[in-house]
Amino acid sequence: MAITRRQFLSRAGLATAGSFLGPGLLGNPFIRKALADTIGDRYFVVCNLNGGNDGLNTVTPISNGTSGGLRGAYEGARGTGSGGLRLPWTSLLSIGNDFHSQTPLGLHPGLGGLKNLYDLGKVAVIQNCGYPAPNLSHEESSRKWETGDPLGTGQGTGWLGRYLAANYVATDIPAVNIGGTVAGEFSTNATSILTFWSLGGFGFPYDYWEDIDDHDTAFSALYSSASAASLGIQSYIGNSGLAALEATRDYADLDGDYTTDRSTWDVQYGAYDTWLAYQLREVAKVIYGVEQNKVDARFFQVGIGGFDTHADQGGASGGHADLMSEIGNAMELFYNDCVDMGVADKLCIVLWSEFSRRIQQNANGTDHGSQGPMFVIGGTVDGGIYGNHANINSGALDDEGNTVYSQTATDHHRTTDMRDVYGTLLKHWLGMPDPLAVLPLDGGDPDDYWTVPNFDMGFLP
Amino acid sequence: MGDENTVLQEPEARHFLRRTGFGFTKRELDRYTGLTRGQAVDLLYDFRLSTFEPRGRELYDAQAKWIKKMVTTTAPLREKLVLFWHDHFATNYATVQDVRLMTRQNRLLRMNCIGNFKDLMKAINKDPAMMVFLDTDENFRFQPNENYARELMELFTLGVLDAGGQPNYTQADITQIARAFTGWTFDDRYNAYLEGGDGDLDGGNNCDDFYAVGNHDYAVCYSERGPKVIFKDTGRFGINGRDFTEDGEGEAEIDKVIDIIFEHRDSAMKNTVARYIGRRLFEYFAYSGPNVAVIDELVQSSSFDPNFEIADYLRALFTHDEFYVTMESPVTGTRRSVKWPADLFAGTLRTLGVRTKGRYQYVSGGNYIDAIGHLQSMGQELFEPPSVFGWDLETAWISSASLLARIGLMRDATAARDGGGTSFRPQKLVDLELSEPNDIVDAVLEALGMAGQLTAAERQALVDYLGPGPLDLSDYDTRNIKLHGLFSLVLQSPVYQTH
Repeated sequence: MAITRRQFLSRAGLATAGSFLGPGLLGNPFIRKALADTIGDRYFVVCNLNGGNDGLNTVTPISNGTSGGLRGAYEGARGTGSGGLRLPWTSLLSIGNDFHSQTPLGLHPGLGGLKNLYDLGKVAVIQNCGYPAPNLSHEESSRKWETGDPLGTGQGTGWLGRYLAANYVATDIPAVNIGGTVAGEFSTNATSILTFWSLGGFGFPYDYWEDIDDHDTAFSALYSSASAASLGIQSYIGNSGLAALEATRDYADLDGDYTTDRSTWDVQYGAYDTWLAYQLREVAKVIYGVEQNKVDARFFQVGIGGFDTHADQGGASGGHADLMSEIGNAMELFYNDCVDMGVADKLCIVLWSEFSRRIQQNANGTDHGSQGPMFVIGGTVDGGIYGNHANINSGALDDEGNTVYSQTATDHHRTTDMRDVYGTLLKHWLGMPDPLAVLPLDGGDPDDYWTVPNFDMGFLP
Repeated sequence: MGDENTVLQEPEARHFLRRTGFGFTKRELDRYTGLTRGQAVDLLYDFRLSTFEPRGRELYDAQAKWIKKMVTTTAPLREKLVLFWHDHFATNYATVQDVRLMTRQNRLLRMNCIGNFKDLMKAINKDPAMMVFLDTDENFRFQPNENYARELMELFTLGVLDAGGQPNYTQADITQIARAFTGWTFDDRYNAYLEGGDGDLDGGNNCDDFYAVGNHDYAVCYSERGPKVIFKDTGRFGINGRDFTEDGEGEAEIDKVIDIIFEHRDSAMKNTVARYIGRRLFEYFAYSGPNVAVIDELVQSSSFDPNFEIADYLRALFTHDEFYVTMESPVTGTRRSVKWPADLFAGTLRTLGVRTKGRYQYVSGGNYIDAIGHLQSMGQELFEPPSVFGWDLETAWISSASLLARIGLMRDATAARDGGGTSFRPQKLVDLELSEPNDIVDAVLEALGMAGQLTAAERQALVDYLGPGPLDLSDYDTRNIKLHGLFSLVLQSPVYQTH
């Protein structure tokens, strides 16, 4: 029987969970939603494409539609031959048409795995996602996506972190981030985000001379004291240490359980031998553990880097194509693993990147851009194309040569504000009645800012 | 109000050593206690410039040599600054893929670590590792690559916004500075040069043979490089901005870009670079989020604007009251920073008197992990910052994964018992004659430089850990179970993770 953190706290004589609760969000009726029934059973995986994924070479016009001339504009911006980034129309994996321009669209040829899931109706391709006044700095733009508050000061918590803070307490471990750090969108001090690189060998490092109980008692006292400290940084370290100690027990069996019971799936991730596949395998191990009532994490974060393709980007083959393959293959395998575990209908995955890339390529790569596509994958997802393709014609671009953010209702290239995607996920997947409680509206001109939310985009029931 | 004549008592001396180096021993503490702040800086600065380069055939050779340097150096401030500049000018091997370029940059940073910041910035312009990392060598005339130009301003010199929240530059400035850097590459002796610099690349002034001459024909085509004026909208240069060909076209342009950037003034008419770098150094050595008035005061008293002498700025910082405000135990109102993993690693081993072992600097206890493994798990692999932004600092250093790695390091270091020179010997740090739990705890806290850093309740938890006294520390089992364990617990404590 796993020792819970509450027991550690009481052994240390400091158990009053209430004193660790976050800021007054809990009392807010707009946020608080009991995690009852199916909502609390669901899994939510966030996958970040770090560096700024080239959306135009991810979801690409195959030919000109009835309007817009998007393939022509694409070919004008993306060359052929040495250093050329153009994806031949024959190589693209057809997914249907952009609504207004009726432009036939295709996925990058490396995304074959994702295309298989798309053909099953399990992938929503959400075009042209962004926020007002696009920022071309990786750090600034990432912060805007992570906080879900692009016009805010960039301080504070992640958009998911605020949701977690409203629904979990400090002694819970609702989320797991694969890697060494807590991802920005999960950032919160109110509950614990567990991080690890791998469950293999996950354990608390005792000295073999030590009395483990004595060490635990003293360790818990030190960390509980920090946890109760009014100084934020000490409190954060305290909570993290207590979560780590608890998790080393609760999660100890998960690696062995999975690799034993699900060995045929285990080896398939290994065969891909990519970092994303390895991360998703760790998520699968935890989900398997949840299904066996050993742990109770519901939220996950994985990531893949290398998208900052200023140079040597490649087209249908090369650096960017390798990344596309890594994503397509790993996502398909993970999804099928979840189907086999019987949890695919409880699964929702969202993919995002801090920005897309410049429409006009440079010698053999692309500089920083603005809006780009997001993907939502899951068993109950209503697959298809959402949002409008950005207007990539040179005359429509801003001074930097990037596509423009627009909320004009009649604009056939209207941007999808990423907060509409977040809000739809919060409302239709995570059961939050009013996502505006964590996603504040912009002020300003309704054509240029996000003043009219749409939390019913339709890609989730 | 303290100043450079204020005498360092023990708590101040501990703080001074903790923040300017990697840990400290009782002997170092005795040397600094009783000095004035100014004298302490003189003693701290008493080291020579070093041309040390952690050369190696493989990356892990270089990583191991550098971390060993941090653990063994007699000039901890120097290595602490090299680490700072490595984060500031973050360049990673994952992208550069050439160990020699990485170690040469390390040497460059070491030689300039406490020199003139403007000179260092100009040297970075031509540093081959940086040129590869941010694509200066892939920046072509007709299709400029903005990677370096953007980060030069955003991260290395100005910052996106000034202290008043106003933008420091525009996209047009990025595009035009990118043009200044087009055509630069480096030769097989690692010297940067402007390709075609002799003006006789293909025997003629032909700007159209872009592909024919390997994409680098700028020197003969200056007129086609586009606008050469920057900062029309920011920097307080007036509506005409500044022309970076003032000192001539070609090679001189990239130095001139730096000269102009270093004259940039923000919306408060303060030198933008001095404020930005002043803040970064302050946050590295003192605490996060200082009041801008403190930075302005340090910049002015050290003449960092206009001289940009790093040593002068740091002297002003290390003798200023604000440097000492974080020395108290972490209660409300104090501002603590999370120790960087490399600092934690080197500082802990130096304090314990534990040496690493073998080519890869193993810590010879517990899991017997090498230094690189420890740093990786804690989130700071040397020569591999995650991106051009460097490492994420403060709470981003802390997660359950990285915390377990920190705890593991403390276990390993205090469990090093193989008997050789790399063992941990607590009897060298505390008197084994001590028998009362209260006395033993106080002695261990003193030995680790942690006197006064724990709350009464935390200290009591350690006393309780030892159990009822008296203890016989000369007893082999008691010593190995309780004394090693006590050292480990103090090092694992939340307060030890911050400074």
